[in-house]
Amino acid sequence: MKITLLNGNMKEESSDFSAYIEKLSEKLCENHSVNSYTLNKMNLYYCIGCWSCWCKTPGRCAINDDAEKIFKSVINSDFVIFASPLIAGFTSSSLKKITDRLIVLLHPYFKLKNGECHHLKRYEKYPDFGLILEKETDTDNEDLAIVKDIYDRFAINFHCHKKYMKIIDQDEIEDIVYETCNI
Amino acid sequence: MKLAIFNGSPRNKKSNSGLLIKQFLTGYNRVSSDESVSVHYIADRKQKEGLKDIFQKAETVIIIFPLYTDCMPGIVKEFFESIVNLNFTHTKKIGFIVQSGFPEAIHSIYIERYLKKLTKRLKCEYLGTIIKGGVEGIQTMPAWMTKRIFSRFQELGQHFAKNNSFSSKIQEELRKPYKMSLMKRFVFNIINKTGLTNFYWNRNLKKNGAFENRFDKPFKEEINNTQHFV
Repeated sequence: MKITLLNGNMKEESSDFSAYIEKLSEKLCENHSVNSYTLNKMNLYYCIGCWSCWCKTPGRCAINDDAEKIFKSVINSDFVIFASPLIAGFTSSSLKKITDRLIVLLHPYFKLKNGECHHLKRYEKYPDFGLILEKETDTDNEDLAIVKDIYDRFAINFHCHKKYMKIIDQDEIEDIVYETCNI
Repeated sequence: MKLAIFNGSPRNKKSNSGLLIKQFLTGYNRVSSDESVSVHYIADRKQKEGLKDIFQKAETVIIIFPLYTDCMPGIVKEFFESIVNLNFTHTKKIGFIVQSGFPEAIHSIYIERYLKKLTKRLKCEYLGTIIKGGVEGIQTMPAWMTKRIFSRFQELGQHFAKNNSFSSKIQEELRKPYKMSLMKRFVFNIINKTGLTNFYWNRNLKKNGAFENRFDKPFKEEINNTQHFV
């Protein structure tokens, strides 16, 4: 199984979150092919909304940075893990930055899905994903419900399913490995 | 009222958000002589450090941005991260405008919940979120096509200048349709078969000589090795 792990942690490497994700990556690597990316250490720019990827060079982004490696890895994976501490009630800007850029993997044309307009697939198959979070001190159930619902929307847009949402101080790494490998 | 408007479009000044704000301010300036209203661009990296300070000092704030993956763009999230721990000496009022290319409001209602919660987290007063779909292409549309939306945003600005709040009536009107009706969906499906719903994209693809490549899949290949990247 091919897995892409996107770590959106913006704190220093020695944080509990990064240690957790590192351990998860090691466990997954025992039996799977894992591409693990620490986003804040990569040369990544924000999407500038130029839509070159839709109208000039279909399927390719105009920005020349490290994002192509991630696009290639994501679309060829069986599963993607979005990992991030919550900051200001949502996943980090580092993770959101690359999430925005994944629009390159979709097609501009609209189609109706569940009675709503959505962009067409560019590729035949899109990987399902899981979400791993770290709570802030003031995170409450409302915050978690908002994050869950927005990622469920991402799943609709990305023609895939969100398989789980885990919290690092509540969920064991072994359980996440099991759920990731039994999708 | 010291109003500061933050434009969160990654397209910076040449954005649909900018065009909507221009209409809003046209209406606003019809009734207000307040010359302290300022517009700031989150995507302008030269302004980055000063934005926090402007946000801190403003009495009323409007933040506008385009919907990215049914959420705020990453660059707007970065801005939120920079202001979330600020303390204010007065009760700041914050309103949001979320615009998207989708015709329906349903795509934007999830981020609306986040924005309301963010305002609570900032201990500010929430003025509501204006949701407007069908905005992509307004910069190139003929005047008769944008007349209605522009006049609504002018009215919105006018009301804001008088009341320091969004008009709930215009707010309700702008977010229609929440979802397309059965009839509209039926018509959409028929028009979609003719390719007319993709007119905007096809025109741009053709203009750029990219129409024949529109279904390219440049990243479809096998990756066999386990790799770690920093």
